[in-house]
Amino acid sequence: MADSARCPKILTANFGVTDSHTLAVYRSRGGFTALARALSSMKPQQVLEEVKASGLRGRGGAGFPAGVKWGFVPQGTGKPVYFLVNADESEPGTFKDRHIMDFDPHLMIEGTILSCYAVNCHDAFVYIRGEYGWLVDRVQVAADEAYAAALLGPNILGSGFGLELIVHKGAGAYICGEETGLINSLEGKKGQPRIKPPFPAVVGFLNCPTVVNNVETVAAVPWIINHGAPAYRAIGTEKSTGTKLMSLSGPVCRPGNYEIPLGLPLRELIFGPEYGRGLLPGIELKAVIPGGSSVPVLTAQEAMEVNLDYESLAAKGSMLGSGGCIVIGDDANMVDVLRVILQFYHHESCGQCTPCREGTGWLDALLERMLDGQGRPDDLQLIERICAGMIGTTICVLSDAAVMPARSFIAKFRSEFEALLPKGDELEDYVPLAVQAELPRSWAEPASAD
Amino acid sequence: MANVIIDGKQLEVALGSNLFEACTLARGELLPHFCYHPVLSIAGVCRMCQVEIEGMPKLQIACNTPVKDGMVVRTRSEKVKTAVQQILEFHLLHHPVDCPVCDQAGECALQEFYMDHGLYHADVDVEDKLRKAKVKPIGRLVMLDAERCVLCARCTRFLSEITGTWELGIFNRGDHSEIDVTPGMTLDNNYSLNTVDICPVGALTSRDFRFRKRVWWLKVTDSVCAGCATGCNMTIHHDQGVAYRFKPRTNPDVNRWWMCDHGRLLYTQIAGPDRLRTPWVRSASGGEPAAAGFDQAYRRIAAWLEQAGPGRKPVLVASPHAMLEEQYALQALLGEQAGGRVLGYRLAGAEQQLADGLLLSADRTPNAAGARRLGMAELSAADLQTHAAADTLLVILDNDLAGLSPEAAQALTGFGLVVYLGTRLDATARLADVTLPGLVYAEKDGLFVNAGGRVQALHAALPAPGEAKPQLALLRDLGELLGHLPAWSTVDDVRSALVARVAAFGALAGGVPPAGLALDAPPEDAAAGAKGGSKRG
Repeated sequence: MADSARCPKILTANFGVTDSHTLAVYRSRGGFTALARALSSMKPQQVLEEVKASGLRGRGGAGFPAGVKWGFVPQGTGKPVYFLVNADESEPGTFKDRHIMDFDPHLMIEGTILSCYAVNCHDAFVYIRGEYGWLVDRVQVAADEAYAAALLGPNILGSGFGLELIVHKGAGAYICGEETGLINSLEGKKGQPRIKPPFPAVVGFLNCPTVVNNVETVAAVPWIINHGAPAYRAIGTEKSTGTKLMSLSGPVCRPGNYEIPLGLPLRELIFGPEYGRGLLPGIELKAVIPGGSSVPVLTAQEAMEVNLDYESLAAKGSMLGSGGCIVIGDDANMVDVLRVILQFYHHESCGQCTPCREGTGWLDALLERMLDGQGRPDDLQLIERICAGMIGTTICVLSDAAVMPARSFIAKFRSEFEALLPKGDELEDYVPLAVQAELPRSWAEPASAD
Repeated sequence: MANVIIDGKQLEVALGSNLFEACTLARGELLPHFCYHPVLSIAGVCRMCQVEIEGMPKLQIACNTPVKDGMVVRTRSEKVKTAVQQILEFHLLHHPVDCPVCDQAGECALQEFYMDHGLYHADVDVEDKLRKAKVKPIGRLVMLDAERCVLCARCTRFLSEITGTWELGIFNRGDHSEIDVTPGMTLDNNYSLNTVDICPVGALTSRDFRFRKRVWWLKVTDSVCAGCATGCNMTIHHDQGVAYRFKPRTNPDVNRWWMCDHGRLLYTQIAGPDRLRTPWVRSASGGEPAAAGFDQAYRRIAAWLEQAGPGRKPVLVASPHAMLEEQYALQALLGEQAGGRVLGYRLAGAEQQLADGLLLSADRTPNAAGARRLGMAELSAADLQTHAAADTLLVILDNDLAGLSPEAAQALTGFGLVVYLGTRLDATARLADVTLPGLVYAEKDGLFVNAGGRVQALHAALPAPGEAKPQLALLRDLGELLGHLPAWSTVDDVRSALVARVAAFGALAGGVPPAGLALDAPPEDAAAGAKGGSKRG
């Protein structure tokens, strides 16, 4: 089991330090030493191999190994390689990247330069969500400082390696956090995910090889270069290495961002003295959404048993996701909570794929109807049927992101939903769905005799 | 190549080719779909073409799946059927189901797929359906009903990828997504009606065709557009002798899937008050021409010939509008047999406008290439003037010389007798001594040769108006009046004679397939092809 006391601060070392966002303070605390070292003594391939060996996984939600992703970029195609830092943090319950950019923008910049060096990229973009307006300024100021200190530009630290970093402000769409939606948005197109294949590593931004990495992912790279892959692997579990920034929210005594060694028990994050310190007085734990609103919910009991790493959560049927850990107390009604979640996905569906465009709205409407006391006896069956049509049938996973909470909430807290629905015999003109479904089928038989 | 098994059928297709097309081959019919279109980019959004591929846990959309060797695909399994039904339910969720008042009814993909795959009980109440723009004119020819739209993005892809004009876009997002015109624009390019063709539902309808005919009453006849030298393959949709619309017929080598609005709307000119239904004759004593019977018309010609004395050699003008058989018959019967002289097939420079770079050719006539291959040349008004004489007979085949050139009109007055085989009461008909009523392209069988040297067949879709006769019959009658009865009597006879006697058309011996037959380009067409980019091959 991970020991939080021995966990080094990889992402949050400068959090809380006065003026930590300035280049001077960042440098005084050892900033840009990894970059200097890599540029002077390592080849790009060595940086890539080091990150690959560290086991660092993408922190945006999917958990795909970063080094492996970099390895997919074809080299020597004659096309430029683009590196996009995904700072469109918008999964409900997630607010970790904003603290990295707010308190330690140079950490992200150093990580970005190192990542670009590894994939032979000379043009990088930081795509920041529109709602983080002040962070656009903060990152831009940091980038300006870095340019002035020759940490960005055509010849970084005299090494001959050059990188242009452009800070780009999104317009506030959840779907632009999906990597191909982000690419389209950055190209000035409507922020809608692209159909895959081809994958962005081969055909991405401006149809060139492109890597998209989360802010937290690139922020871990300087430490890995400074301390080596084995030191990183020593933290966390065998397959979930290193640390993760968890955004803890809900009725806990001390909500906030916490850097945890992967493998930390979820119970520790909620109740541990260094972390959440338990729920507010008078509130009992009812459920936890461990990785942002799109992942399946855990019951209180499941939450007490699970560790915060990719594999343990998968074994419980959920996911670590983006690390947005939403604690739900017994004062909340799960139907209300689900309604809020489904409203969000309804609002944010880009509208390209039919199942998601129509399904997210339909689910939201059914929940609204249910909460208005207008639910029908078969609504839960109908919701399941809609979910079955939505999951895995779309270009991106926004559709799945609506289905996973819907299914898990209903499966684990069914009685709260059923309490809002009338029984069949309470309605006068009620015909069960199953019977309705039979009616047209029966008269259709002769026509479909082929 | 890749070997794949689709629904138990083994077939060999190109490695990496589109699975959607492989499924079409195996099934003998298309997979259900809204967004897939063979020449537009893959959108992958309607999710109707999902198939089961062995070894893949999730269903895959066939339209974005490259074929791999050894793929085992099922398109009719229970899993696929259930999925398609679910997807269709999503498509119909907010659809107004206003088929009784929808022009698309009868040729609507939603209707077809509902009968094939749907047939479920609708779970959404009418009052819960979303409201969007209805009966919105978005261009001169196109009407939008956004509630019927399934957001397949075919129209927007057509306007960005084919015309590059970007008039339409999908605005808003999620279930509020809506097709609309780009602010400040209207959908008025010359290809706007193609969006109506490719719209799988009733969202985009033709303002020209709306409410004029239920599509199930329409008969369909293959034809070729006569609007320019491109020769877009098309079908004539008609009922009870009236044409209601032209639609493009797919031909990858000519017009691909498209047709321009200019060509489509030519159907409106087939009938019309100026169509000739009887001969028009000017009496020997002068005055204005008047409607007459064939007897009277032929008597007038015979009388003039008698008066002029035997052995009169007619002067002939052919036409780029006439069919190949007619051009040949003029040349062979009135030319070679009766000793006439073909001055040319069109006035130099006439009926030339700007090409649009897509389909519309600069040459707005359909069969100039046919005339050129018969060895005919362009003529000038001066050529006409040279031959104008009081003892000379001029026969004009379907060519409004007087309407195209005042000088030519002037020259016509110098001939002893002008016989015009026309279709309309146009300027030439008003100047001619005898006008014989012929048929337009939609009313007769025949061949056109397009600018690329492709011979294409037209078929009669509509009846002859009034007493009008095929031009071949009129030419035959004229031959007889001149004392030369031809050996042929039908289009097929003329075509056989043409194939046997003109080397350039020898390749037609085996018949003309529906997609046409490309001839070897003669020198001048080869040069034009090299400049303009040949569509052949």
